[in-house]
Amino acid sequence: MFRFRLYWTFTKKAFLRSAVYRFDVWSRLGSNLIFLLMWGSIWTALYAGREEAGGVSFESMLTYIVVSQFLSGVNGAGTPLWEIQEKVRTGDISLELMRPFDVPLRYLFADFGSVAFYILTALLPLYTVMFIFMDLTLPSAWETWILFIVSAFIGFLIRYCIEMAFGLLSFFLVETGGIVDVFYFAMSLLSGSVIPLWFFPGWLEKMALYLPFQGIYYIPNAIFIGKISGTEILLSLGVQLFWAAASYLLLRFVWNHASQKIVVQGG
Amino acid sequence: MPIIEVEHLMKDFMIAKRETGFLGAVKSLVKREHIKKEAVKDISFSIKEGEMVGYIGPNGAGKSTTIKMLTGILVPSSGSVKVNGIIPYENRQENAKNIGVVFGQRTQLWWDLPTIESFELLKEIYQVSDKRFKENMDTFTEILGLDEFLNTPVRQLSLGQRMRADIAASLLHDPQILFLDEPTIGLDVVAKEKMRTFIKEINNERKITVILTTHDMEDIEKLCERMILIDHGQKVYDGEIAVVKERFGKTRTLIVDLEESPHNLQLKGGEAFKEEASRFWIRFNRDEVSASELIAQITQTHNIKDLTVEEPAIESIISRIYQEGYQDLPEIVKV
Ligand SMILES: Nc1ncnc2c1ncn2[C@@H]1O[C@H](COP(=O)(O)OP(=O)(O)OP(=O)(O)O)[C@@H](O)[C@H]1O
Ligand SMILES: [Mg+2]
Repeated sequence: MFRFRLYWTFTKKAFLRSAVYRFDVWSRLGSNLIFLLMWGSIWTALYAGREEAGGVSFESMLTYIVVSQFLSGVNGAGTPLWEIQEKVRTGDISLELMRPFDVPLRYLFADFGSVAFYILTALLPLYTVMFIFMDLTLPSAWETWILFIVSAFIGFLIRYCIEMAFGLLSFFLVETGGIVDVFYFAMSLLSGSVIPLWFFPGWLEKMALYLPFQGIYYIPNAIFIGKISGTEILLSLGVQLFWAAASYLLLRFVWNHASQKIVVQGG
Repeated sequence: MPIIEVEHLMKDFMIAKRETGFLGAVKSLVKREHIKKEAVKDISFSIKEGEMVGYIGPNGAGKSTTIKMLTGILVPSSGSVKVNGIIPYENRQENAKNIGVVFGQRTQLWWDLPTIESFELLKEIYQVSDKRFKENMDTFTEILGLDEFLNTPVRQLSLGQRMRADIAASLLHDPQILFLDEPTIGLDVVAKEKMRTFIKEINNERKITVILTTHDMEDIEKLCERMILIDHGQKVYDGEIAVVKERFGKTRTLIVDLEESPHNLQLKGGEAFKEEASRFWIRFNRDEVSASELIAQITQTHNIKDLTVEEPAIESIISRIYQEGYQDLPEIVKV
């Protein structure tokens, strides 16, 4: 039995908690903007006045970067990984094991709350203004908007599961620094968050298409700017759903082992 | 039917051995050696519904480890645990509904949230009805004075406030059993007293079974009739506190202030074990010699300015037991 009300309470509490940490919202929004400016200027320089490159217009490319930064704001607004690792390190996590709820789900629902707060109070106003004042391509069909939101949501789930699973590696390895760095690098490159996959060399693009990361940034973004359409979209959503399921299983697997380890070795 | 049953409970921890030096570091990369630490070895006891039991022992005795196994967050290496008919580690969440837990050393409330919101979260987690939640909150607020900090985030609470919030939180869902691991640690005298009154009251009125670990023997003396004493992971005594007191309580201490300071004080039936200037501490067994006999002996050679006779508190009895071993303990219950 899934106790929606219970998990929803975590969402509500996290939403309210975010309101207490308003400064956090501003500083996060600031760095989000800085990255947006940086990638915006890099791509402007790369296009060097050309109208299009790789079959994609400059306007679409700029839109891609803006949407990508928006998504990165969304994906970065949840419980930071170090907080969970800290709980693992101090043994506080074992107290959560004792509660009648599922720990990974509880953090996911709490993230919904903090992300919602961040979207409503910071991301949405800022990006709306940006779309009004900049020359960017907006989807004209309302279906595209819905597909984008669905795709971005699935992408969020994929990112959550994978990031949490990697974060929990600290249960098994004394030194996770290196692995986590490689993971974050892979995630930012192979997800297409800063360079769209179509600019990748053929082999790298193939590789990226076989990995789950593209589901986080590339697919929702490709839907938004109209790079893919019709059945292609449905196919991509299918791929995303597959990866969401797979990364959920990965998270479950890692979590079961991790919690087993805590109860045997003691927090 | 006992509500808690523990049989031949054991818990070993594997601790990675730290190798020293460069070679050691390289070696530990390839293969880590582990040392086995037996935190709990072969402990058995059973506790009846409504009992309040003091679970005591020196640092590192294995108290917290036992409590963790009773709550299900630690799996025993061997032996069996049953709490209200449930095996905690196999059915952690089911067990959680029957128990309340306070670990004095760490809070179970959510750091960032105002205290009241932690309570509201717990209400949802344990599906407490609105009516019951309100009743409990009213009772706890009245006895523990929660209202002065309900809107303060947990991380800003003082230790005493936090402890009060924690114990109230552990009881919101009306558990049948309460595990208290050092609930008075770090509290001032008044706060300790309040905490004790509260624990006593919920045990009396709600018939909640309580297991309590503490280093403050006054907690035990004021709250429990029964104590389980453990050391090095083994049970050394299980029974009434009164029996221990009776056995060890025969020793009295006579403290005398003399007008002059003699080099030593030789007495029949008493032993001067400490002296400071002209004050002497004399230990004697009340069955062998009376205080007035001792005083008479002293007055033959010295002038007494002042004197007191002290009865040993459980505190000093326990500290003597810790130091001198357990041989003299009455009827150690071997299960
Ligand atoms: N997770 C763990 N890993 C390794 N050893 C542990 C672990 N937890 C406890 N120990 C060891 O087991 C022994 C018993 O510890 P425990 O915490 O149960 O003692 P305690 O009786 O609660 O002591 P205290 O009064 O100091 O709280 C100690 O020697 C401790 O070092
Ligand atoms: Mg302890």
